[in-house]
Amino acid sequence: MEDGKTASPPGAEGGEEDDDFGYRLFPDRNKEPQSFLVRSLFTFHNRCQIVLCQNNIRHQSHMNRVVAHELIHAFDHCRAHVDWFKNVKHLACSEIRAANLSGDCTLMNEIARFKFGLKGHHQTCVRDRAIRSILAVRKVSRETAEKAVDEVFDACFNDLEPFGRIPHSKTDAKRAYKDFLNRDRYTANL
Amino acid sequence: MAGDESWRPPRPCEDYRWEWKHCRGLRHAFHHYYAHGELPDCGRWRDDYAACRAWEKDRTAAAREALCESERARVLERQKHGAVWALRSCPPPDWHRPLDRGAAK
Repeated sequence: MEDGKTASPPGAEGGEEDDDFGYRLFPDRNKEPQSFLVRSLFTFHNRCQIVLCQNNIRHQSHMNRVVAHELIHAFDHCRAHVDWFKNVKHLACSEIRAANLSGDCTLMNEIARFKFGLKGHHQTCVRDRAIRSILAVRKVSRETAEKAVDEVFDACFNDLEPFGRIPHSKTDAKRAYKDFLNRDRYTANL
Repeated sequence: MAGDESWRPPRPCEDYRWEWKHCRGLRHAFHHYYAHGELPDCGRWRDDYAACRAWEKDRTAAAREALCESERARVLERQKHGAVWALRSCPPPDWHRPLDRGAAK
């Protein structure tokens, strides 16, 4: 984790939620000049790194979630031809998966954001956070972001790689790893 | 599919039992309702476990077919929505480098 001089999130990004994402994806979205030390996930400068904003992350669990979120983007970058800059649907898909699988949208996290809901609320949260993420890093309209998310939502919400399930707990995560270790046997005997 | 003699269930039978028991638990039911808006259907795991045990005991072709059909259906369900992007055969060689905004993917 880098101890960076991170700029505070722009006022336009604050919105109705108190939490920042805790990371920067693409610095060009911010209105003010970026500090030398502010980096995005994808400006590694010859080193593999995920840069986190230490001034916005105050709990270990938040950091865990943000790292998991970014690692899902990194996983998508490695396993598919993702056009991060020119194809909003590709970005939307990765954001849906990251919000879905990282723990961003657990019930407790949503309650902490004063967003209440139970039946299928996870999907509502994933959709909303994906749209927010797109708007935070791309100069597109809200309608464009919503349309992109709606078009790819079913496919991407159900794309659970590399876990094979939504890891709601450590038990689920351990089980997902067990399935991963068993993958050769699984595919060979289908 | 592997040959008849070397075939074995895609998962150990104990895994099917675990999935069934886990599916029936209150915590999983809650998470499933929160994520999908409905309670989970655990009968399939139960049937798979039964088929796995039946194959272990008698090596019947029916049990093997039932298990294979069920697992293939699971895979197809995941793929039914179609792909948003094309998968790679290996990571890009410059995966660790900064993204090039102008490069076509």
